[in-house]
Amino acid sequence: MTGPGGAARGRKAAGNAALQGALAAENAAIFGYGVAGAYLIGRQRATATAYWNEHRSARDTLAGLLRARGEQPAAAAEAYKLPFGVHSAAEAVRLAIFLENGVTAAYLGLVGAGDAGLRAFGARAMQDAAIRATSWRGSTLAFPGMPAARLSPPRAR
Amino acid sequence: MAADPTRRRVLAASALMLTAAGTAGCASGQAWPWARPPVPAPDVGLLRSVIAAEDAMVSRYTRVLSVRPALAATVSPLLRQHQQHLAQLRERLVVPAGARPSPTMTARARQAQVPAGRIAVLAYLRRAESDQAAFLVRALATVATPSLAQLMASISASEAAHAALLRSAGSPR
Repeated sequence: MTGPGGAARGRKAAGNAALQGALAAENAAIFGYGVAGAYLIGRQRATATAYWNEHRSARDTLAGLLRARGEQPAAAAEAYKLPFGVHSAAEAVRLAIFLENGVTAAYLGLVGAGDAGLRAFGARAMQDAAIRATSWRGSTLAFPGMPAARLSPPRAR
Repeated sequence: MAADPTRRRVLAASALMLTAAGTAGCASGQAWPWARPPVPAPDVGLLRSVIAAEDAMVSRYTRVLSVRPALAATVSPLLRQHQQHLAQLRERLVVPAGARPSPTMTARARQAQVPAGRIAVLAYLRRAESDQAAFLVRALATVATPSLAQLMASISASEAAHAALLRSAGSPR
């Protein structure tokens, strides 16, 4: 039977799963920034360190939210497979952009999870990640975090 | 606020729906005098105000470009992205025949003076982007459709990033 209680439980479960998804993306970003930082110097190194700290603080916030909902936050993996080899500053910047895109997409899941209380939180986290990605990329995206398949193609006229 | 006329129209439409539903059962053979009004989805009013606000952003950028073409390298890519935002939002709006979106915000943006000076122009656009990004996050609270909430959150992230880019373009290096 799915009564109003069942629907609320379903929303809570979806919210928890989305929070775990965001946590996993933050943990991957924390690992990845550790790698990227090693190939960066000067101002870029300082930026990577600042962003690494932002991701650690976001991870702690997410873990706190999960615990407050009676859910155990999933632990980080010991190591993450990188999407490509990182051996230079340019590749380190590419990795940072990749990580921020992953974090943005994970918070998009939180916005869509149906839990109104988590929406604004997810949207603000998307803003933060999009701003960080922009500082690496030097340009902006029209739809950060959105898979292209989810956008309507332009209407034929 | 500019959203009010739209809101009133949606409320009026909802009231009409209630009346229609309440009397349909006792209408004995009598033809209903109106065509069935389009069913207002709960998000229509909100979507209209988001579209109006996005339309206003496009107007601001268009005016800035016409007054200060030298800013095109910075401003044109952002204008194109706002046009993409607008197109995606409009895709989600099923406009009832004869209905027109509220022109209030667009008109206000068209009349707004573009400030003089490069730095002042960039600050003017940056403030508009920040306000719009914050407006979208606030508006999320009342959205019923999860996919619309995601689109609005993504646009709000894009606009927050625009604001950051305009800030760095407007500050001395």
